[in-house]
Amino acid sequence: MFSILSALAQRIDLLKQVRRGNTGDVIYKVLAYLFGLALLGIVVAIIWELWVQSAFARQEFGISFLWSTSFDPVQAQFGALQFIQGTLVTAVVAVSLAAPLGIGIAAFLVEIAPRRVNAVVGFLVEMLAAIPSVVYGLWGIFVLAPFLRDYVAPWLTATLGWTPMFSGSFSGYSVFTASLVLTIMILPTAAAITRNVLQAVPKEQREGMLALGATRWEMFSQAVLPYAKGGVIGAMALALGRAAGETMAVTIIIGNARRIFTSMFEQGATIASVIAGNFTDADSGAYVSSLFLLGLILFAMTFTINVLARLLIKATSSGPTG
Amino acid sequence: MRRMTLWRALLAGLVMALVLAGCGGDVAEEGGTPDEADDGGSENGGDGEAAGSITGAGATFPAPLYNEMFSTFAEEEQGIQVNYQSVGSGSGIEQYINNTVEFGGTDAPMTDEELEEVDVETLHVATVGGPVVPTYNLEGVDELNLTHEVVADIFLGNITEWSDEAIAETNPDADLPDEQIQVVHRSDGSGTTFIWVEWLSAVSEEWADSVGSGTDVSWPTGSGGDGNEGVAAQVQQTPGAIGYNELSYAEENDIPHAFLAPDADSEFVQGSLESAETAIEAAEVPEDLRVSVSALNVTDDGAYPVTGLTWLLIRQEMDDLAACRATAEAAWYATHDGQEFAPPNYVPIGGQTLETSEEFIQSMEAEGEACYEG
Amino acid sequence: MSQEGGKAGPQRAGGTSSVTAQTMEVQNLSAYYNKFKAVTDVSMKIEPNKVTALIGPSGCGKSTFIRTLNRMHEIARGGRIEGKVLLDGEDIYDDRVDPVQVRRKIGMVFQKPNPFPTMSVYDNVVAGLKLERRHKKSELDEVVEKMLRQAALWDEVKDKLSANGTDLSGGQQQRLCIARTLALEPQVILLDEPASALDPMSSQKIEDAMQELKERYTIVIVTHNMQQASRSSDYTGFFFIEDMGQPGQLWEFGETSKMFSNPERQETEDYVTGRFG
Repeated sequence: MFSILSALAQRIDLLKQVRRGNTGDVIYKVLAYLFGLALLGIVVAIIWELWVQSAFARQEFGISFLWSTSFDPVQAQFGALQFIQGTLVTAVVAVSLAAPLGIGIAAFLVEIAPRRVNAVVGFLVEMLAAIPSVVYGLWGIFVLAPFLRDYVAPWLTATLGWTPMFSGSFSGYSVFTASLVLTIMILPTAAAITRNVLQAVPKEQREGMLALGATRWEMFSQAVLPYAKGGVIGAMALALGRAAGETMAVTIIIGNARRIFTSMFEQGATIASVIAGNFTDADSGAYVSSLFLLGLILFAMTFTINVLARLLIKATSSGPTG
Repeated sequence: MRRMTLWRALLAGLVMALVLAGCGGDVAEEGGTPDEADDGGSENGGDGEAAGSITGAGATFPAPLYNEMFSTFAEEEQGIQVNYQSVGSGSGIEQYINNTVEFGGTDAPMTDEELEEVDVETLHVATVGGPVVPTYNLEGVDELNLTHEVVADIFLGNITEWSDEAIAETNPDADLPDEQIQVVHRSDGSGTTFIWVEWLSAVSEEWADSVGSGTDVSWPTGSGGDGNEGVAAQVQQTPGAIGYNELSYAEENDIPHAFLAPDADSEFVQGSLESAETAIEAAEVPEDLRVSVSALNVTDDGAYPVTGLTWLLIRQEMDDLAACRATAEAAWYATHDGQEFAPPNYVPIGGQTLETSEEFIQSMEAEGEACYEG
Repeated sequence: MSQEGGKAGPQRAGGTSSVTAQTMEVQNLSAYYNKFKAVTDVSMKIEPNKVTALIGPSGCGKSTFIRTLNRMHEIARGGRIEGKVLLDGEDIYDDRVDPVQVRRKIGMVFQKPNPFPTMSVYDNVVAGLKLERRHKKSELDEVVEKMLRQAALWDEVKDKLSANGTDLSGGQQQRLCIARTLALEPQVILLDEPASALDPMSSQKIEDAMQELKERYTIVIVTHNMQQASRSSDYTGFFFIEDMGQPGQLWEFGETSKMFSNPERQETEDYVTGRFG
């Protein structure tokens, strides 16, 4: 109600400005509104398209699509659970590895590195983000996977092999490899944004803590990080979104097994990878529609992640407002 | 303040959504008729002469062959231009059904449901064949003999170790490692998969019952690679892997592939142009040609059973006589003179398959006239 | 070193005002930013339990100078000094001295109130103590009340100790920062234009608080407010810069009464009478 009134007030304000002859302002405002609306329009259009195209699958499989694990093109039976699992596991593992690394890199650059190193390394980190994902995928196969197979997997099997998480043999193509490739792929996002966020923490905050007799580490952990918490969480949410939506690199390395996995060494599939890998040659209406429904689920997941991140920021930071 | 602007934007978004909702349906229904502008065939001619240019779209597997043979065809035969778009079997079938192309190309025959969507009879004209071979990665094992049953059991996940007795029995001289078998399959839908699982269904009742056949199936075990190159890469990168590839792909990449036989006492045959050609010639194909040779599991002497066909999809009755004649000419060329371009990557057709294809082309008609003029 | 602080903390926090204000002596101190010399050759004695005011026109090095007194200057890029700063006879710039310990003994309040926005009023006060991590809740409660009282803030915030530090008014925030500094029971308190960002009322409150504090601490304050300096300080140092690009110097130093009534040098008189600056 209030919003409508204020929107109305804004409209009248706009008219007044035209009368006053501030045409430039008006044009700017209208343009800004249009661009803003266009963005919203695109999002709405995407959701709408996903909704319409997935109608068949929604009717056919109902809500149980969410927890069904069958994916049989021959019988035209489709489910989403294994892909939701694959998406969540790879993305969450990637973020939980990339977060400390990214914050560490950012902290080093902002707090410790000389200005020139900060600039150069900062640039390099951002460059990592510009590498096409297919390159990450190929690097994953030809460099990372053999390395993991020869050095990391045997060690993990020896130490953690008794847990279901690292049981079984490691063939290179696995959920584990995919998670690590994703970690490296989202690291630039995590590090670069965190770096900007840390840089934005006012000098006064650092000085205030140092003047209380804090060491550099205490300054960082007690003053800088809490102040930047909202931004850091935002950076991680973005990174999580990127990890959940990554297709090419994951498709190449995860092994594309459309099953629930119990060990990180097994093969799996993510929503994005199964859509990318099967969309062009899905041969039945139910198949195509199911892929659209998977897309809708992915959309809902990333949306939820972002909303949760926002709530988390609100809940944890009684922090800097405005 | 920020909250207020957000609400305003949301409100506007809702309005926008309503507008979009109004026209969204149309957009969805109009989709699926791309490239109509490219289709020049129907407009040209109309005087009964073969049209100047026709368009086809579909399978990627035979695309290099089609491009080569149709460009020679254009030079030799009254300059009929055949434009083949390599868009994949699925899209090829879709475009054929929508009648936006003169012919489709596919590695897997159309399903009964798909055929019903076409108002006239659809002809599956086979052009060439290709063997699909079980590629593997076992260090020091240059020759691997597998019985049909063992292959099916491996892909079903019943046999999981290379040291399994069933494998050792047919490979007394090979030094089989004590390793897990890593099955690699295609993760995308493909004609190669179709040929492979048609054969598995033919040799294993368990496979036919529990998995079945199609361009994409619910794999009981293993990992998936995207495309022939994806499978090849996984097999090459993973010790103990076994997958399946088109023969030409396996040979180009130097990946060893296994010899197959119906049982331990029979002759083991490796996939090759000759063994595949033998299989095609011996195959007793059904009248409509809608079968992968592999589904017939041809086990004659020297025949390699896992062999597939690739088809042109043609309407038995077309609207435009000129386009129909051009299509018939092109199809005839592809099944006869064009066959010389098949080796080394493709297997020429022969036997019953060729005879049936000839009959199909001869049956084509438009505006009450036969299209093929011999 | 930090263990030492840890031991000292609870004792001091628990006991009554056992703080001893200390004399500081600055000897031939020059401060640099990389190659640029910002302050040159300052020597002065800062008496315990007195308020020493530093005045002078903008850009003459007062703030740089005060930051050398607790080794905050070296945090700035290229910040370094020459000369000595003695606290109770010991050079705080000695190689064996940990700057972290120096800053605990010599507290600092900044120009712009800078409470930690993610902490409550309560947590802001004990932020410095918590770095030592050896305090009982009851001890901390006691410290919080005592320090807020000393900073003349207790009555205003006693009902909102769990409120956010940044929810207070500007003047309250600055007094919160003073309380935060006091909680470490330092020997010297440095205030860098603590009231410049505040309204006159808040400014007055800080001035009042200062008068009480000097009974326990040695206080150094940088200020632009001549009245404040003349009213509340015992000693005054006048910083002056002869020309642009030159380093700031301590032009004249003496008892406040003399500096404001009968300074030795002409520039000092011009400045305190408001003829420039």
